[in-house]
Amino acid sequence: MTIDSIVLILIALPLIGALVNGTIGKKLPNIVVGTIATSVMLASFICAVLVFSQFHKTQLIHLFSLLKLDGFQLNARFQVDALSIWMTMIVTGIGTLIHLFSMGYMSHDKGYYKFFTYLNLFIFAMLLLVLGSNYFVLFFGWEGVGICSYLLIGFHYSDLEKGISNSIAARKAFIMNRIGDAGLLFALFLILSQFGTLEYLDLARMTGPGHGVAQAMLIGITLCLFLAATGKSAQIPLFTWLPDAMAGPTPVSALIHAATMVTAGIYLVVRSNFLFELAPFTKDIILYIGLATSLVAAFIALRQNDIKKVLAYSTVSQLGLMFVALGMGAYTVAIFHVTTHAFFKALLFLGSGSVIHAMSDEQDIRKMGGLAKKLPITHATFLIGTLAISGFPLLSGFYSKDEILGHALAANPLLYGILMISVAMTSIYMFRMYFLVFFGSFRGGEKAASHLHESPLIMTLPLMILAILSVFGGILNLPGLFLHSGAHWLNDFLSGQTAGLNLLHAEHLAASTTLILMFVASAMTLLILIWAYINYAKKQKLALADEELHGWQLWSNKKLYIDELYALVFVKPIEFIGNVFYSNFDIKVLAQGVYSFAQLFSKLGGVTRKWQNGVLSSYLFWMLIGLISLISYYFIKLQVWNF
Amino acid sequence: MELLILPFVFGILSFIIPSSWSRTFGLIGAASSLMVALFHLSGFEPQTVRTIFDPNRTFPLGLSFKMGFDALGLVMILLTNGIVLLVLLSNWNREIAKNKLFTALVFLMQFGLLGVFTAQDGILFYIFWEFTLLPIFLILYWFGAKDNNPTLFKFFIYTLVGSLAMLAAFITLGSFSSSYSYEDLRQVSLPAGYACWIMSGFLLAFAIKIPLFPFHTWQPATYSSAPMAGTMLLSALMLKMALFGMIKWMLPLTAEGLECMRWPVIILGSIGIVYGALIAIKQNDIKKIFAYASISHLGLIAAGIMLYTTSAMQGAMIQIINHSLISVGLFLAADILENRTGTRKINELGGIAKLAPHYGFWFAVIVFAGLSVPFTAGFIGEFILIKEMFSFHMIIGIVAATTLVLGAVYMLRAYQVSMFGAPKLTEFQDLKWNETFVFVALTILILVIGLSSNCIIDFLEPSLSNYQVTLK
Repeated sequence: MTIDSIVLILIALPLIGALVNGTIGKKLPNIVVGTIATSVMLASFICAVLVFSQFHKTQLIHLFSLLKLDGFQLNARFQVDALSIWMTMIVTGIGTLIHLFSMGYMSHDKGYYKFFTYLNLFIFAMLLLVLGSNYFVLFFGWEGVGICSYLLIGFHYSDLEKGISNSIAARKAFIMNRIGDAGLLFALFLILSQFGTLEYLDLARMTGPGHGVAQAMLIGITLCLFLAATGKSAQIPLFTWLPDAMAGPTPVSALIHAATMVTAGIYLVVRSNFLFELAPFTKDIILYIGLATSLVAAFIALRQNDIKKVLAYSTVSQLGLMFVALGMGAYTVAIFHVTTHAFFKALLFLGSGSVIHAMSDEQDIRKMGGLAKKLPITHATFLIGTLAISGFPLLSGFYSKDEILGHALAANPLLYGILMISVAMTSIYMFRMYFLVFFGSFRGGEKAASHLHESPLIMTLPLMILAILSVFGGILNLPGLFLHSGAHWLNDFLSGQTAGLNLLHAEHLAASTTLILMFVASAMTLLILIWAYINYAKKQKLALADEELHGWQLWSNKKLYIDELYALVFVKPIEFIGNVFYSNFDIKVLAQGVYSFAQLFSKLGGVTRKWQNGVLSSYLFWMLIGLISLISYYFIKLQVWNF
Repeated sequence: MELLILPFVFGILSFIIPSSWSRTFGLIGAASSLMVALFHLSGFEPQTVRTIFDPNRTFPLGLSFKMGFDALGLVMILLTNGIVLLVLLSNWNREIAKNKLFTALVFLMQFGLLGVFTAQDGILFYIFWEFTLLPIFLILYWFGAKDNNPTLFKFFIYTLVGSLAMLAAFITLGSFSSSYSYEDLRQVSLPAGYACWIMSGFLLAFAIKIPLFPFHTWQPATYSSAPMAGTMLLSALMLKMALFGMIKWMLPLTAEGLECMRWPVIILGSIGIVYGALIAIKQNDIKKIFAYASISHLGLIAAGIMLYTTSAMQGAMIQIINHSLISVGLFLAADILENRTGTRKINELGGIAKLAPHYGFWFAVIVFAGLSVPFTAGFIGEFILIKEMFSFHMIIGIVAATTLVLGAVYMLRAYQVSMFGAPKLTEFQDLKWNETFVFVALTILILVIGLSSNCIIDFLEPSLSNYQVTLK
């Protein structure tokens, strides 16, 4: 089979799965539904690997024309290049594991078939997003994943206690994403007006040397693209939806809100690298926003007590790191971190899912403790995930973070310093959570203790696979320290066949600098590990009750009051304006105005009615007045003419 | 000609037949009209005008009584006949459908609409335009809320005033021409100073009917007091007469006046986009939410039409079709709530998605179609319209794009407050077969149009470019 047909099959498979489960899934037993959904994913992943193995040069797969208007044509067309095939493997690979996990996790849920329908649909939209050959197809996927995300966040909409808050969280996510979508739409319009096409390859060619595009236009385009990225990838100012999105079932958090959809913003920027390279101003903005987001989110994560919220803020923070890399122009490094992050964050989320499953849906880490004995596999894999995200030496996160830190140091030592603060906070909140959950004694009461159990194999198997990937993921892009070949594999692979990236000059740090950086990072992680062990495992320094928090802890726990700020600045005024427009303007001014206007005629009728009074003298009087007026009018007119 | 005669005859017959037949009779009539329209579609050459009635002489006062349609007209005919069928189907399980008067009025309404869309004579256009007001008024009066007389009065007078302005515009225009036939009116080149006034005459009529901000005050009250069929006919078809009138009559005939009226309408349309959405966000009556949403959506279409580029017209046409389909869906969904629970206040509802999963699902589909998500017709329509507005003026484009965000706020709020959360009711009857049928048909149409918009664009291309006037 040619690559063309394999790619089309791999895109179609999840859609078919969704259609089958969506139409007849309700009547099928759960095991069949889950198997269908998971096997289409597996097949899709195998296709992706096949394409990857046969892939040697960028190629386009043209389907049909979606829209043609005067002067431009928008096509349903796919593009296989290094970047898209790499993202496809991540999406389908992690997707398969999470589908597998969900078969166990969702087994008690009534909406089982619906869940898998949405999940498959999500993968389909995500594949459109990464495989499209132009921004138009990307936009289809972009909005598509937003809808699936909405459906899945609010999945338990009829829950007696949390139904309403779940659906509000879903709505918040959708609306904030839509703000970003509007940005993407503007970018599309600007690109169309400037270049007349939305095809990546054409655009890359047109922005080559001697392109002659105005700087203001480039900045406009890239800022709009970045606005879109902040929506999808939860960056300042549009990041507050992601923590709320944890209302969705945990596999959803792992798949959509950690490993795949939220990295779409990174993908967008990398995909558009040829535009961003021409707009250094925007790159600086990206750098600052990424840095600020990384710090703010890490700070908030320090005192969160919901196991999923900690991970959510951690995701926001890690995405911030990726944007820092993008801001420095280190596109492949960002994708490397996307990859390793997909491994360990999916692992951590699924691990937390396994914990929540065992705890009968309790998510507060203050009520956990000592779970290591009861959940050995979950514990071991969670530990690996924690170490990986903290940048523990030789695990995957260690390498990808180090690349970002190295680039930062090369760019600006101050930047490196600030990034180290963010990295340190990451280790602190991760180890705090890890020790509070798995060490010490159980704090959840006897009833909960009796329910504790390790999850079935169908759930632990994905954990183990992800753990292996989290450990060895770094191999993909080893630094060129002692290696003569095989170093920077991912970097070379991506740069080789991705429009724009192939023109960039990859910078690698000197071996000595790399070594020193690695040493500093490892030492810091180890110190924090020991500190956290003493504080949280030995002394069991429990997270305080909310009322006892003060100072920075309170601010961290209350998420810096950003939700409250947004409510005050945006939501309340809009609702206020809506009310005023309706009850004051619409009813009192406009409707009343129309009414008064109509009344005017009625009044006028009243006036003229009086004239028809039947008194002859009155008529004569008015006739006289009229005649006099007419005569004087013509008289004056004549006079004026004469002069 | 059978296009018009058929609904008229069915309308007259409906008065005579026994009431028990009226539902079936309605469906048969609507279906046969649709078949006739589809028959016209097959083999239709988009670049031609098909004349269906032509006495071939000019009557006193310059009347010509010509009737016919081009590609644009045919699309509107198909839309009308399709929507009428869906409206009758939506009402199948309601009391109103068993009333033969209702069936008769719907057919007469269809007759009037088809007349509007096929008139090739200015005065004839006006006559049909006014004619449609009678059946819709009676539908609202006989089958609407009991205490709606002031509302109806306002609606009637308001639209009547607008129509008179249009009549004045036609007469002024006709004074420069040998007859009122469309071809002759197209030949007119207006003296300086006239075009702007004539266009404002048209605009007043259209702005009230669309309705454009600030001429909309008749609409929310009328919608909420109307029976479902009335709201659907108003929103899905009657408003479209005005947009159609702008495209076919106003702009080509008075293109010289565009310079003075373009900005005012575009600004009013843009205000309407935001204004309607902001009010919709805080409403509690679900029909009012959709009424104000309609002001928002139609503001975009009206402003787009005033750009007067072929592309914008293409977008507007797709959006017109889409809006008709969405309106039927949304008002059916709203009416199901009212029909089953007796209230339209969304805060008194909740958790219905759990009680009636099919209804919950299809309502959600229509809501997302209303949000113009990819793969739906609205996506293409909005994409083209906002793009054209963006390239006309960036600020206008940005204002237009707020509909993306604000639309999500009010649509999802309306849906979620009524459908999600813990159920407040004990039972809620799920969809009947006819309701399911309507939802499925709408969804298929919306998806098909969304994915094959190129066909519609190609089909409309000749007639829309024919409406473009090159100004000297």
